Amino acid sequence: MDSMNSSTRLPGKPLFIPVILGTPRRGRRSEHVADFVLSRVAAISGVETELFDVRRMAFSTNDAGEQIRDAAFSAAMMRADALVLVAPEYNHGYPGILKHVLDSNLKEYIHKAVGIVGVSAGPWGGTRVIENLLPVMRELGLVTIFWDGNFPNVQKTFDKDTGALLEPAYVRRLEKFTNELVWMAKVLRYGRENVAIE
Amino acid sequence: MAERKKLKCPGCGGEMNFHAEKVDYSQALADPESMDPEFGGALEEFHTCPRCKLTVERPATD
Repeated sequence: MDSMNSSTRLPGKPLFIPVILGTPRRGRRSEHVADFVLSRVAAISGVETELFDVRRMAFSTNDAGEQIRDAAFSAAMMRADALVLVAPEYNHGYPGILKHVLDSNLKEYIHKAVGIVGVSAGPWGGTRVIENLLPVMRELGLVTIFWDGNFPNVQKTFDKDTGALLEPAYVRRLEKFTNELVWMAKVLRYGRENVAIE
Repeated sequence: MAERKKLKCPGCGGEMNFHAEKVDYSQALADPESMDPEFGGALEEFHTCPRCKLTVERPATD
């Protein structure tokens, strides 16, 4: 696979940027988007990634917040320098299970970058789910980038059986998104490790 | 202003960097003594270890 952004290579530890697929719904087209995003993040020099699929997570639903932490997910969030959320827009909002999963951590997110990829069957590309997630990101201590991923008409963008991308323009669009995310991740990592509150 | 003493990382023993503070309202509900009356919740500090990347949350010290 081609390697994007050789200038993003870091002299020390690689950046870890996991991708969270935020819906468990059967027949979800967001899975194709998440696979595509994961492949593009994995192609960046000096970046490691991993997919976290809310469908595969066994979070309790008779409690909420940090009381229901999953050790493996929390460890990954602690290691992360940035996150990518892939979220479909359901009734103009985000899937409740995505919020439930995100709320299971807090200190793990502080001063880390996040980019949001919205997915929709309609023409707006998840703009409303992205807008609705922004205040949540802020309260969790995450720092949002100003590039978004927007996948409108997702049923026309990927082959429904193979998941192959049918619209090549998304490669370049996502590169702009990941360029900004990596920049923010580097800056915030430097800040977390070196810039102290006086 | 006097420089704060660096927290020692419980994971690797390295010096941690204090980089964030946040008010935790639910913590103050669970433990009313932790509430800072000027903020209406428990004031928490966040420290990150440059060596092993561990982040620690603890009650604010000032």
